[in-house]
Amino acid sequence: MNAGAGQVERHRVEGPLHFLSVTTAAQAIAARELSPVELMKAHLDRIAKLDPKLNAFIRLDAEAALQAAGVAEAEATAGRLRGPLHGVPVGIKDIIDVAGLGTTCHSKVLADNVATSDAVCVSKLREAGAIVVGKLSTHEFAIGGPSFDLPWPPARNPWNPDHHPGGSSSGSGSGVAAGLFPMALGTDTGGSVRNPASCCGIVGLKPTYGLVSRRGVFPLSFTLDHIGPMTRTVEDNALMLETIAGHDARDPGSAAAPNGHYRAAMDRGARGLRVGFVRHFHETDMPAEPEVAAALENVAQTLQTMGADLRDIRLPSLGEFSAVNRIILQSEAWSVHARWLRERPGDYGRLARRRLMAGAFLNAGDYVAANRRRSEMIADINAALAEVDVLLCASSMDPACRIDRPDDIDRTYTRQARTPFNVTGHPALAMMAGLSSTGLPLSVQFVGRYFDEAMLFRVARAWEKASGVDKKHPPIG
Amino acid sequence: MDEEIVELLARRAGLDKALAEFRDDVLAAARQTATVTQKLNAPTDPRVEPWPAMRPGDGL
Repeated sequence: MNAGAGQVERHRVEGPLHFLSVTTAAQAIAARELSPVELMKAHLDRIAKLDPKLNAFIRLDAEAALQAAGVAEAEATAGRLRGPLHGVPVGIKDIIDVAGLGTTCHSKVLADNVATSDAVCVSKLREAGAIVVGKLSTHEFAIGGPSFDLPWPPARNPWNPDHHPGGSSSGSGSGVAAGLFPMALGTDTGGSVRNPASCCGIVGLKPTYGLVSRRGVFPLSFTLDHIGPMTRTVEDNALMLETIAGHDARDPGSAAAPNGHYRAAMDRGARGLRVGFVRHFHETDMPAEPEVAAALENVAQTLQTMGADLRDIRLPSLGEFSAVNRIILQSEAWSVHARWLRERPGDYGRLARRRLMAGAFLNAGDYVAANRRRSEMIADINAALAEVDVLLCASSMDPACRIDRPDDIDRTYTRQARTPFNVTGHPALAMMAGLSSTGLPLSVQFVGRYFDEAMLFRVARAWEKASGVDKKHPPIG
Repeated sequence: MDEEIVELLARRAGLDKALAEFRDDVLAAARQTATVTQKLNAPTDPRVEPWPAMRPGDGL
């Protein structure tokens, strides 16, 4: 059934409950066709069955989640819905505060750190009726992973548990793809929402810088940090963003832009859209695996067939974007971690220790030079987006590598095109572009103008509908 | 960056303990920054300001 512009489509409950979309589950609960307790139990059963293989959780809060589902059920029965996510489970990356639970950042350094209040984004999800299932694995402090020398094991990829799920929001990506929960919060400083979305074949959005409050989220790099929704469908992603976006006067980076109704234009299709294809990222800057390149061409041609006007766009090189991102990230992260690295370096895993100490060897001149170059890069992308409505480019240059091969992890870590949009703050969405010959997700990224997330959802939804990527689930369980 | 300079910079940054216990990690961290700063093309126009610009008042 199609809905007109601005209307929300009504979905039918079909298939196993653990693969219901957020939208379908919420609508069914609101219509009293689905019990929040039944839905939560289905997810807890799935978690019990699969999480021992996937390690998506650092802390499962099953008892509280089930109790909250009971309350949600009573409220729904009485006709009192808290909001558009009433009774729907959500997982939270463990660098984001949830009152009463640990925020460990997957590190021994903060093993005993318990949050006293919810982060703003968590509070907004709860006000909309979502139920927190637990805290999710991350790369240590959102930078050092996947690591086997930490108090908790790294998350694994549900498409093949021998492979990396991407990071740093690794538990979020793994759990959403595997059906442990239908939505999760991730954070993205150099691509950490979009990398696991790419590796696990789900939808991950890094919103415009400042659109989602960072208050209550442990910082990695103040001017690069973003909080973003991770879901299995584009519509769910837009719904989640509608819930968590909005100005926060107590977050100094918060933008004064209103949050929008991001689903309103989602079904308008690709006809007439001007799409700028940034081919040099994956053709010459960092040549992608042939299957990745072919998948990107397929996405571009599909959109063209649907009526999009496809154009080539040139931006600064990926190598330079990456350098600017790393200088800023490592300088700002050093300012956060210097005291602990001086006093207790042995409490960090090896990867985080190496990456975080790098900031000690950068000077103020490096940091200011990178931020001056950043101004030019922002102007370059704004100029490109004056010519087109949306950019299309690679996300990852390779499918997910094996998790037990540190050399492959190191090699592929920087082979990506996500950092440019942390540097410039433009919204960027990564999603599945297809499957590799070995059955691993391939990915594509769409990038929009500041605060024009609605355009990203429109083009992403057009690709999703044409390709059916939202119907593909990992062959696990 | 040779090891002597790395040691000096590490001590200046207060990383004596890390240097004693995780010397390889300190050296690896220093090597990362050497390669990354070489890839940066700093603006040639001296009027290009850093982002974000100073803004009076609260928020953006």
